[in-house]
Amino acid sequence: MTAILTALGAWNWLIFGLVLMALELLAPGVFLFWLGLAALLVGVLALLLEPGWQLQILLFGLFAAAAVPLWRRMARGGDVEVHATNPYLNRRTDALVGREFTLEKPIEGGVGMVRIDDTVWRVFGPDTPAGQRVRIVAADGAKLTVAAL
Amino acid sequence: MFYDLSGFDVVSIVLVLLVILTLFAGVKTVPQGYNWTIERFGKFTRTLSPGLNLIIPYFDRVGRKMNVMEQVIEIPQQEVITKDNATVTVDGVAFYQVFDAAKASYEVDNLQQAIIVLTMTNIRSVMGSMDLDQVLSHRDEINERLLRVVDAAVSPWGIKVNRIEIKDIVPPNDLVEAMGRQMKAERVKRADILQAEGQRQSEILRAEGAKQAQILQAEGRREAAFRDAEARERSAEAEARATQMVSEAIGKGDVAALNYFIADKYIKAFGQLAESPNQKVIMLPVEAMSMLGSLAGIGEIAKATFGESAASAQAARRGSVPPTTPVPPAR
Repeated sequence: MTAILTALGAWNWLIFGLVLMALELLAPGVFLFWLGLAALLVGVLALLLEPGWQLQILLFGLFAAAAVPLWRRMARGGDVEVHATNPYLNRRTDALVGREFTLEKPIEGGVGMVRIDDTVWRVFGPDTPAGQRVRIVAADGAKLTVAAL
Repeated sequence: MFYDLSGFDVVSIVLVLLVILTLFAGVKTVPQGYNWTIERFGKFTRTLSPGLNLIIPYFDRVGRKMNVMEQVIEIPQQEVITKDNATVTVDGVAFYQVFDAAKASYEVDNLQQAIIVLTMTNIRSVMGSMDLDQVLSHRDEINERLLRVVDAAVSPWGIKVNRIEIKDIVPPNDLVEAMGRQMKAERVKRADILQAEGQRQSEILRAEGAKQAQILQAEGRREAAFRDAEARERSAEAEARATQMVSEAIGKGDVAALNYFIADKYIKAFGQLAESPNQKVIMLPVEAMSMLGSLAGIGEIAKATFGESAASAQAARRGSVPPTTPVPPAR
């Protein structure tokens, strides 16, 4: 055990980092990639500075922790990209906002009914007679709020 | 094992391990199509949407991993008694989608079971208010009514039921057999009626045809009679006209002219008699002899026609007027 720890050299760190990156491919989304990056960084520093193994391990932990804010920024960038290609995936009601429909049942007591895509949706809003065109102004979960045009 | 390590060495090793484990615990990758709920010390705080998320380890933990894709549930078979006391076996499917992962996780325990039971009871109530025939022929209406009721009932759970479809409606075997017989009888009845109708129509058409034919024949006869009558009238008219013209002519002229004609015909008739090979003896009635006297009229006509001048001229040329002698009958 101590032999392994004392033998931690620059090359082993580099190998370890590459292996971690490879594992990330096999089990994606488990953050191994960033650990791999941290290990590579430690390896490069070990090549240049040759610090003691304790320092190497601590550096590895430090880099791994530092990877989190970096990774979050990247993740957010990824989010933006996803929203650009298909912003309403699994967010069906948000896609309905702004569309106009005809009330099938009058809104009485704040609840009415419209037919959208061959199913009926309960809609909420001010009392309106049936047959009136309404616009969906807000969606909160499965709750659609409408306003008469 | 670690006897040659100082305290600092061990702490640093453990610390790094802890950092790495903490990172693993705090980084959550939520796959598309799922929403995860986060509980801080057991209390719901927020929902993680798909993508990479950070949670605070030690405080937060993932509660429920809620599927927000549209899902389909089989509604198991059940026996339903219709309004007219027929027992039918019904099953179906329901499609639902989670819109609010928190509500779907914590407002209801065992969401799918809840939806199934709710749908089953409503199938009973909807079908129980209809006759068997209606149940079999108004599936759309049943689906619609079920959807409205169930959708309103599940809305507190943050989900939406998009469709409920009745799959199979199976009446008991004896009923099916009776329905089959009923349909057959219905078809036979229709066939018989159609045949009778056809016969009736054809009889009517034949009678109509005969009637038309008779009418046409009668019309033809009537027309012919009319025309015959007309022809007779016309000929009578012509006769009358001719007679009138003759009598007029006689009135204007002389009886002698008539005599001339008659004599002319008479002589011609005699000529024909003379030519006939078989008979040379002709019995003449006494009056015929007197008819011959009418020949004397011819001369008078000649006189009247050619005038005295012509007659005198002739007399001058020949010196005498030839006596008009009766023509002897041919023998």
